[in-house]
Amino acid sequence: MTTLDRRRFLAALGGLGIGLTVAGCGSPATTDPGSLTLWYKNGGMSDAVLAEAAQRFAGDRFDPAAVSDVRPKLLTSLAGRAYTPDMAMLNDDIALYFRNSDRFVDLNTLGAAALRDQYLPWKWQAGSTPDGKLLGFPIDTGPSALYYRKDLFEQAGLPHEPDDVAAAVPTWEDYFALGRQLLKALPGRYLIADAKTVYTYSLAQEPQKYLDRQGRFIGDQEHVRRAWDRAVSAVQQKLTAGFFDNAKQSSDRQSAWNSGTEVSFVGASWMYGSLTEAAAGTAGKWRVCRSPGGPGNQGGSFVGITSVCPAPERAYEIVTWLLSPANQARHYADKGLFPSAPAAYTDPVARRADPFFGGQVVADVFAESARGVKPAYFSAYDVTISDTITDELVNVESAGKDPETAWRDARAAVDQLLQRAGVL
Amino acid sequence: MATITTEAATVRPTEPPVRRPNNWRWRFLPQYLAISPFFVLFAVFSAYPVLYSLYLAFQRWDGIGPMTFVGLDNFAFLISDTQFWTSIWNTLLIWVMSTIPMTILALLIAVGLNSSVRFKGFYRIAYFMPNVTSIVAMTIVFGSIFSTQFGILNTALRAIGIDPVEWLTDPWGIRITISIMIIWRWVGYNSIIFLAGLQAIPTDVFEAARVDGAGPIRTFFQVTLPLLRPVLLFSVVMSAINGLQIFAEAQILVGERGGVEDAGTTMVLYFYNQAFAANDFGYGAAIAWGIFLVVVLFAILNWRLIQRPERAEVAR
Repeated sequence: MTTLDRRRFLAALGGLGIGLTVAGCGSPATTDPGSLTLWYKNGGMSDAVLAEAAQRFAGDRFDPAAVSDVRPKLLTSLAGRAYTPDMAMLNDDIALYFRNSDRFVDLNTLGAAALRDQYLPWKWQAGSTPDGKLLGFPIDTGPSALYYRKDLFEQAGLPHEPDDVAAAVPTWEDYFALGRQLLKALPGRYLIADAKTVYTYSLAQEPQKYLDRQGRFIGDQEHVRRAWDRAVSAVQQKLTAGFFDNAKQSSDRQSAWNSGTEVSFVGASWMYGSLTEAAAGTAGKWRVCRSPGGPGNQGGSFVGITSVCPAPERAYEIVTWLLSPANQARHYADKGLFPSAPAAYTDPVARRADPFFGGQVVADVFAESARGVKPAYFSAYDVTISDTITDELVNVESAGKDPETAWRDARAAVDQLLQRAGVL
Repeated sequence: MATITTEAATVRPTEPPVRRPNNWRWRFLPQYLAISPFFVLFAVFSAYPVLYSLYLAFQRWDGIGPMTFVGLDNFAFLISDTQFWTSIWNTLLIWVMSTIPMTILALLIAVGLNSSVRFKGFYRIAYFMPNVTSIVAMTIVFGSIFSTQFGILNTALRAIGIDPVEWLTDPWGIRITISIMIIWRWVGYNSIIFLAGLQAIPTDVFEAARVDGAGPIRTFFQVTLPLLRPVLLFSVVMSAINGLQIFAEAQILVGERGGVEDAGTTMVLYFYNQAFAANDFGYGAAIAWGIFLVVVLFAILNWRLIQRPERAEVAR
């Protein structure tokens, strides 16, 4: 054994420093050269499917990596032009990358058009740039539905079988009327979690959002105001609970699910995971039916192949295998990611009777919603615009702000945001 | 030149005579090498980002594509941005709401620890624990404590017949909750500092006060407090530095959007929001420089606060 004296230690340290500097100068373009890396969000794909893919594509050294926060890490690697993954999961704000579409492979150049018919047309369009490049291959969707407590509806003397409830609340106004009835029968319980839900899911049912595909602002138009007015009207009728919910912590809502204070809510298919996890004690009492106001989509994701990927054809093969209709059914069964390929809706793997929902085949309800979604352009600014508007809705709901002042403030804030971004 | 020749002349005898005369340039190389790690790291991880953020503040950039030069636009937006002013106001409010009670509490605890109590070591560790606890974990616990629906605090309030408070959906509730978290986190740290300050005060001063007939309260206000002044100032400066950077508490408690009426939007949270949530890196950089100005103002204020007593003493 050689002893570690100061000279030796310093030499080793110096060597290490030089080594790191040299390595730093030659940062590789991809995360792990020689293998095909996929960054996916934790819980964003079925582990079983990924494990099978890793075996199946062992020759390409396919290496899926669960990353806790894909977006900031991907942006960092894109900005630094180093350590970029070969494939990455993109969220519904995929339009963020449309302006820099050269950083991703246009999947149409790899023959994606041949698969187009297997996926929902609106979802396919959402992954395509305005000039027709396909940047994101569809993973899951977030069709909305009405989740409700069958036992409590029954107790309140309301319709309680899924079909009857759906028939009773074709519109939001009918839903609010049902809410008033429920409040009379069971005081202190709420049909609607908060004004934000009403606004978000109302807007999701519209054929357009805040910007059109040419990048013009249309958020000052009737459809946004309609969703806003609807949410405000729910607040003014005192139908919303106004639970504290900040996406990081929604313990208030979770306790309301458990205690039965929240009797129903309109939510996307992925709410299933939070609900079943947080309120396991209420298993068997919930049902799902068509949402008031009709089908809408909230969220969903894509996989993109970055332009630094050395073997885009191989990556494309992996992606299309991972997200084939049959495998989408498995992602749904394992992780609750609702498929974007309609063939999966009739797959027995997806159409399981769910004991949490009293043996209901919930996939059927979501499938109907998913098929009926109107294609709406989701711009790079939509998340921020939506947050800005719902911030003001929360002020109306929780701090008693005057709705007209709140609307004006929201509009002013959105205008400023878009001016900064150079849209207005 | 003259200095160099004399220096060389004094050094020469110990050095081999074959050395070239301009070798003095490299003589200090080992010393420079030895101190270089700090400067290299500082240049890479501090100086470069600072300068780059100044450059960014004049650009519009979404983080991926090419930048667009927009001149002073970002700063013009900043001045007219009500949310930015709200965030400064919130930060100052929360700082005052947390620092004053925290300092008083810490003083009381320090005085308590200083008088002969049993298990001193245990208390010292116990009071320091919050400071080394993860803020994120702690905030989640606090979120549960202050929850409107099932929080232990509201349950306790109900039990003693007080109406529950909507801590997390009321603007003042949010600010109070964040302040309480800061107090909880820093009170122990500061009381340990105060304790050190108390123990540095010579006991004969207290004896003199006692001989002169001062009671414990008078001794505290007229002997202990004035002698603790430098320690108190240190604690206030430290809490100002920490207070202007409040971020994690607000972000995890009320979310990135800052909660009802932006009551939880602190300066740093607003900056984070614009840069990393809304992907507006140019504007984010402009906000960062706005924060820098506020911090400079505070630093000047603090500096004058610390300078004053010495000047007064000199004048006397």
